[in-house]
Amino acid sequence: MKKSFLLLLLVSVIVSLGFMLNQKRIKVLVESVHELDSLSVVSVEHQFGEPLPNHYMGKYDADLAEIGAQLIHEGKASYGDKNGKLISSYFKCTDCHNLVKETAKLTNLDPQDRLDYLVENGLPFTAGSTFFGIYNRSTYYNDDYYKKYGSLVNAAKDTLANAIQLCAEYCASGRKLVDWELNAILHYFKKHELRLRDLNLSDNQKEIILKALQEDKNQAEALEIIKGKYVHRYGATFTGAKIEKERGYGENGDIKNGEKIYKAACMYCHENARVTYLDLNDDVLSGKFLWKHRKGYDDLSIYQVVRWGTYPIAGRKQYMPLFPKEKMSDKQLEDLMAYIKKLAKK
Amino acid sequence: MIVVLQSFGLIAQEKEKKEVSETFAAVRIINGHSTETLKKRQFRYIIAHRFGDALGDLGGIQTAFGFDNAADIRFGFDFGITDNLMIGFSRLKGTGDPYRSLLEGSVKYRFLTQTENNSMPVSVSYAGSMYATYMPSSESISSVTNFERFSHRLMYGSQLTIARKLHPRLSVALMPTYVHRNKVEATDVNGLFSIGGAARIRVSKRIGLIAEYFYNIHDSSIREDYKNSLGLAMEWLTNGHTFTINLTNARGFGELQYVALTTSDWLEGQFRLGFSITRTFSY
Repeated sequence: MKKSFLLLLLVSVIVSLGFMLNQKRIKVLVESVHELDSLSVVSVEHQFGEPLPNHYMGKYDADLAEIGAQLIHEGKASYGDKNGKLISSYFKCTDCHNLVKETAKLTNLDPQDRLDYLVENGLPFTAGSTFFGIYNRSTYYNDDYYKKYGSLVNAAKDTLANAIQLCAEYCASGRKLVDWELNAILHYFKKHELRLRDLNLSDNQKEIILKALQEDKNQAEALEIIKGKYVHRYGATFTGAKIEKERGYGENGDIKNGEKIYKAACMYCHENARVTYLDLNDDVLSGKFLWKHRKGYDDLSIYQVVRWGTYPIAGRKQYMPLFPKEKMSDKQLEDLMAYIKKLAKK
Repeated sequence: MIVVLQSFGLIAQEKEKKEVSETFAAVRIINGHSTETLKKRQFRYIIAHRFGDALGDLGGIQTAFGFDNAADIRFGFDFGITDNLMIGFSRLKGTGDPYRSLLEGSVKYRFLTQTENNSMPVSVSYAGSMYATYMPSSESISSVTNFERFSHRLMYGSQLTIARKLHPRLSVALMPTYVHRNKVEATDVNGLFSIGGAARIRVSKRIGLIAEYFYNIHDSSIREDYKNSLGLAMEWLTNGHTFTINLTNARGFGELQYVALTTSDWLEGQFRLGFSITRTFSY
């Protein structure tokens, strides 16, 4: 009896100690507004009652995050005595994803504002969503991606690690990552998680958040402010190829805007046949070639490939990813056609 | 922020020195080397044929305009080591005039690439090839195929290609070439210089027409039976494939054969149809 009492006491001490330590780890201590900037959005939200994401990690390992960066940029890295192999012979992460923010205001998802911001900053207009803030998102391969990847999306849609694996193995026509590679990429994402300074908070909003942290007051309001400042999920609507009679063939398109898209999107991969066999330039031959294929629904038709992409086939696993409506609007596609028409001198 | 700044820097650099691409469609123009190389981690398989004389004594209807005969056949692999360096291995049937059963190893390096702002006006590559024949040695002592020493079985080709894309539709190339054979006939030279010229006109993105000519430089009193090589070709590109259909008087592949050992004469109907099919993979 005495023994079981002692045992029970011991267990309760351990549990409460664990609980306290856990609380201490998560509890965010701040004294002034200036200290807010570097705070992790996930930790602050957690203090306000939000559950932690399932890929949560307390802190990142700087060396691993560096290896993650290498994997993302170069497609392979070495770790200790392990010599890395290419994840994919065909694509690197950065062929489809930017690593930095894509609009001045994080919550702005307008494809035209995204294009303008990317072009202004010398960044490509990619079909995939940026990795910036991916640690703060909890759903992936949203909406219509199941139309392309079917039940493969099930495991990936709410788990970052599975989403990375789906991307590596299928989207990049590569292989599954081994544990340390996956871990390194997760550490990279953790390193670049959103911090309060990324959210463009007003002074007033900062005060509210500070008070909520210090005095545990108005936490719901503070949480709402933070959550309204960044993107939690990127929508993906696959519109399919426009039927021929609805295509404008660039009739009322904005040539200047189309040129931006051609250079920041098409040329990013096709210039000097960088990730494909199709070499495109801003010359009349490329223009005529693309213009000739404006009709139909085959794998050379612009309307088809922008909206459905192309498919990897044996011996040619490079393929073109598709642009959901959220990444390229129908108007932008018409602008692109207008530029191609000009390039073709039609 | 650092990433943004870095990308700024990179983009700025790229604009200054944007490299011109697609000067030629493939790593060879017709017979000669273009300044194109495979990219890093690309691998290319080549099947190429030169048929028999289309017209003349050995051509015409009796040989289905040369299709009954194969002057030369190439099976080969090329590998891209870096974006500017490639190596290749081929097995050539050999024209039998005089060599058969040739092995070819080659290295090609592009050390200059034309830029859009003309800070570099031309692309320049060097291709070095080494040939070895494993045909049986001839019993006739006077024959060049009587290989007293192993070194007699070895031949070398060096080619510098200087190319410029003048217009999206027009590219030209100059190809100073040197072929060295360790054993030659008395009326021949061991080291032969030749100067090649080529032009490619692109009809469309995927169809092009090419002409290529090699002028051999030597004393007129020697090599009387040999001719200069002239080729005309049409190329067709698809994703990963390149098909080239050509007409040339040269019977054999490789600098050794088309530069130094061409004896056929266009004017006597001794030109032939040839084709090459290449397929490029990434690995």
